[in-house]
Amino acid sequence: MKKVFLTVLSLLLVLSMLVGCTKANKEPIILSTTTSTQDSGLLDFLLPIFTEDTGIEVKTVAVGTGKALQMGRDGEADILLVHAKSDELTFVDEGHGTERHDVMYNDYILVGPADDTLGLKAQFPNDIVGGLKAISENGAIFVSRGDDSGTHKKELSIWKVAEIEPKGDWYLSAGAGMGEVLRIASEKQGYTISDRATYLSQKDNLDLEIIIEGDNNLFNQYGIIPVNPDKNDNINHEGAMEFMNWMISEKGQALIKEFGVEEFGQSLFTPNAN
Amino acid sequence: MELYIENLHKKYDDKTILDIPRLKIQEGKITGITGLNGSGKSTLLNIIGGIDKEFEGSIRYNGKLLNKEIATNMTYVFQKPYLFRRKVYDNIAYPLKLRKVNKDRIEKAVQEILERLEITDLVNKKGHKLSGGESQKVALARALIFEPKLLLLDEPTSNIDPESIKVLEREIVRFNKETNGTVLIVTHNLNQAKRICDDIIYLSFGRVGN
Amino acid sequence: MDYIFQGFIEALKLLISFDPEVFKIIILSLFVSTTATILASLIFIPIGIYLGLKKFRGKRIISRIIYTSMSVPSVIVGLVVAILLSRRGPLGHLDIMYTPKAMIIAQTLLVIPLILGLTYNLAKNRGTIIEKVAFTLGGNSIDSIILIIRELKVDILVNVATSFSRAISEVGAVMIVGGNIKGHTRVITTTISMMNSMGDYPMAIALGIILLIISFGINSFIYSYSQED
Repeated sequence: MKKVFLTVLSLLLVLSMLVGCTKANKEPIILSTTTSTQDSGLLDFLLPIFTEDTGIEVKTVAVGTGKALQMGRDGEADILLVHAKSDELTFVDEGHGTERHDVMYNDYILVGPADDTLGLKAQFPNDIVGGLKAISENGAIFVSRGDDSGTHKKELSIWKVAEIEPKGDWYLSAGAGMGEVLRIASEKQGYTISDRATYLSQKDNLDLEIIIEGDNNLFNQYGIIPVNPDKNDNINHEGAMEFMNWMISEKGQALIKEFGVEEFGQSLFTPNAN
Repeated sequence: MELYIENLHKKYDDKTILDIPRLKIQEGKITGITGLNGSGKSTLLNIIGGIDKEFEGSIRYNGKLLNKEIATNMTYVFQKPYLFRRKVYDNIAYPLKLRKVNKDRIEKAVQEILERLEITDLVNKKGHKLSGGESQKVALARALIFEPKLLLLDEPTSNIDPESIKVLEREIVRFNKETNGTVLIVTHNLNQAKRICDDIIYLSFGRVGN
Repeated sequence: MDYIFQGFIEALKLLISFDPEVFKIIILSLFVSTTATILASLIFIPIGIYLGLKKFRGKRIISRIIYTSMSVPSVIVGLVVAILLSRRGPLGHLDIMYTPKAMIIAQTLLVIPLILGLTYNLAKNRGTIIEKVAFTLGGNSIDSIILIIRELKVDILVNVATSFSRAISEVGAVMIVGGNIKGHTRVITTTISMMNSMGDYPMAIALGIILLIISFGINSFIYSYSQED
């Protein structure tokens, strides 16, 4: 029994070394990004192709935008792919990043229970501010990310436009990723703001429908920022630059456009690098 | 209490531990059970004491099979007695409390038995913190206090000091004389058996010898 | 490095000022884990003692099942409860997913094997002799169970404390079935986990300190009693 165990163990070790070797042509990079790019499956689609093209392996840390930027400030990541434009510009201005480029955008949607008790879909099909006002006035359950992520910041900015301070028993702050928040909204039959990609990829398991979409307030720009290599010796700036250039290249942009078409019949992210 | 054992068989994995076709233990006497290690002494005591129920044959206590009334009228002091993690007083009082004796009488009875066994100074000590000799005396006191009709003792004096042995033997004999209670002692010490027993049973490989 | 020091200062401020949000989280943690531990203990301590003393066919298999399930990961327990309680699940009509009730259910299920296994083991190793003594002194089976509980009360209490310690420090089950909703289902461990993913350390450190104090208190209690023999 012990022998078998040892044999299996050593085989596993050898295998894992082999797997490691094939891609160790160049130093890997650490990409700190938001949960939305991970949960939607975009990175799973893009990264293997990038690694094949360049021999650089990408290690992804998917966190909220707040934490992603913090990792950049602490020099724990080589490159960031995030979506909180004003924070990103400050980040570069303060010298934490070397440059910033637009990569793509996606859009947010308000989702809610299929029966849409408040009738928002009929009244405000593309007016998010009107929708949020109705939700708060009626005390309908609204689930917020509450995790300082880009999506959370986006949501707060829209409440601000609507001149409402979201507070009360109806407003649930989950402190969780998009997938979890959608599940909570589905269980509680409440409303939430989600990025389209995550919603579409999970909608089969949810009792939620798209209620409001297409409002200008709901668009969301992603930016890519290589971290300033002066922070410490471990930062792989070369690899980071290669990744950035690949993402904004014609090939990278075309792949972003292609993602999701097969499965959902529409692109989940719209490339807009210039 | 008189004991009558008939066709007693006990096996463990095909190995015969006990094989006693007929054995009578007389009422009001002190009977010693002796023999080498592994001769079945303790097993026999466990069976008589109702702790080991896996055997063939029958044991009659005053003509009856073991029942609740018989069980409450006999007791068993183990080779390594278990004392409660409470005061010696509570240990000794326990059997009387189970029998719903009133508090004044319990106090008197405990005081009396403590004096007899010369352990009045232990009354407030915790049961689980006593030495071997002290534990044996407290365990015997706890057994004697309700005046059982049948007293079973498994090596009551092994590994303890001569002074304590003297006290224990004296009180066992006194109990027997004063209450006419039947006593069965398992002991490997033949001298002790000769000192205090009226009858001696010698066990060898699970069988009664001479 | 600065943010670590800064985090500590902010954490102490939160604790000293009795920040209501922090204290609500602490109280919910204590409430959920205490309730779960008490529920599991009341039902499964007697069962554990009974199983430990009783001789029956298949006892070895039962022991094995109990011991194995003592180490079930909390996320698995959370997952199972979530599947049962979610709107599409068999108990969805109860409508308690993402509430403290669901968290109590999950933690109760989590500590049941632990409290059962520990009590079972205790009764098997130390209860049998006490049962025999009760019998030889004229007690019936109820007398012997009472005696066992009284004799082993310190050890039983230590087992209860160990189970509570497991409950209050786990994050997997309460995260899944509670959802970490602010003011509703947010407990110490889920908040720490969330604050870390937000890069917001002060509250995480403050709650970490509290959790350490609780675990430290419980373990020093266990230690001092297990020394007293």
